Amino acid sequence: MNRKKFTLLASLIFAMIFVLGAPSQMQAQDNKNAYSSMAPLNQYLMDRDAEIALARSAAPESISRDAEVWVLGQHGYEIAVKGKNGFACVVERSWMSPFDDPEFLNPDQRLPLCLNPPGARSHLPLTFKTTELALAGLSKTRMFDSIKAAFDKKELPLPEPGAMCYMMSKQQYFGRRYGNADPHLMFWFPKTDDKFWGAGLPGSPVYVHQYSPQPITEFIISVSKWSDGTAAPTE
Amino acid sequence: MKREIVRKIALRGLSLVVLLASAWPAPAQDAKTPYPTMAPLDQYLMDRNAEIALARTAAPESISRDAEVLVLGRHGYETAVKGKNGFVCVVERGWMGPFDGDDAANFWNPKVRGPVCYNPPAARSILPMTYKRTEMILAGQSKAQIIDGIKTFIKQDLPPLEPGAMAYMMSKEQYLNDGNHHNWMAHLMFYTPLMDGAVWGADLPHSPVMLNPQFGGAPEPIDVFMVPAGRWSDGTAAPVM
Repeated sequence: MNRKKFTLLASLIFAMIFVLGAPSQMQAQDNKNAYSSMAPLNQYLMDRDAEIALARSAAPESISRDAEVWVLGQHGYEIAVKGKNGFACVVERSWMSPFDDPEFLNPDQRLPLCLNPPGARSHLPLTFKTTELALAGLSKTRMFDSIKAAFDKKELPLPEPGAMCYMMSKQQYFGRRYGNADPHLMFWFPKTDDKFWGAGLPGSPVYVHQYSPQPITEFIISVSKWSDGTAAPTE
Repeated sequence: MKREIVRKIALRGLSLVVLLASAWPAPAQDAKTPYPTMAPLDQYLMDRNAEIALARTAAPESISRDAEVLVLGRHGYETAVKGKNGFVCVVERGWMGPFDGDDAANFWNPKVRGPVCYNPPAARSILPMTYKRTEMILAGQSKAQIIDGIKTFIKQDLPPLEPGAMAYMMSKEQYLNDGNHHNWMAHLMFYTPLMDGAVWGADLPHSPVMLNPQFGGAPEPIDVFMVPAGRWSDGTAAPVM
């Protein structure tokens, strides 16, 4: 009896140590080699209706209600809702982050965007191509090389003039470092200088992200409200 | 920019104007066209150093300190400070607004001061329209003559609109209208060929993007989209409408 109690207690303590200890062990491992490989596909997938709703939350309802909506399936993105206004809403996954982002394959990332018509025409092909490579299980290096080759061969388009998107979902999740960040607009250009828009300078409301290997420059402007009209944090 | 707030104020103020008109027709008429003609030129001019400083407030100092700065002279804009970063800062006057309609209320308002810092593509492809309008205004031409002159200019001399043309308009000291909020809001402006504002989702409920009625094909073939910046160029918080 006492032996049984001891065994049970020891098991519980062991379990607690394991459970409590796991996050720090995992975090240590993550820090060394965060998301170095693809998680099981199901971790990137979502309930279809939930994904449609999340995609639409990227822009005010006045824009997203008539937008085309794409959802991620086992083999890539599929149209879930046909649109009427030329906008396209989609929830991008972590493989659309920069290749050197430590959370590149974080299965928890959810990045809803609503792209305007020039953005949908010229940016979605990149989303689809990158997703295809990720779902095919390519290594990060091979994905990088494939995307570079696709642009070199002009199989992927450069941003059209006026290509932009809304990223104003309160539910967006960029991962542990940035959480849901802030609502913002993004504007895409063929690769150009940061200073083109005065981006990244002290006091400038414009931020910049230089893609690599994609020959694309993304300018980002924070806005004050989420897509539902509620106020966003000021910083 | 100024045209948008003028339009909003005009719409919101319409009922008040109608009310006043029924009791005091003459003042109501004045409220509709408070600035029917050009004021004496001196009222549009500024002290040179004050104008340089005001022009620079359009953008954060990190941008405007190395920008070219223009000031308005008796015959048009003149370079007051040479720049190093390709940006050009200028204080525009009321005549850069729409020629007609509710949005034209401040066209001749001599108090209007619209500091703008244009990025290099806009300095090359948008600023020439500021020069042209201003040159014809200062030559004393009528609105009809100016519109005709601009149409000719567009056909013969206007450089093609460059992709990525944009401008900063973040001056706390901007004076865009005679209403309670002279300085409206800090914002950025983006120039595109004429298009349906819906392509950017402009002016839809909860959209942060607004379509400025500044040009819109009347006659300049340019659309101007605006996005609030949230802060004035000095870093202090700005209202967002």
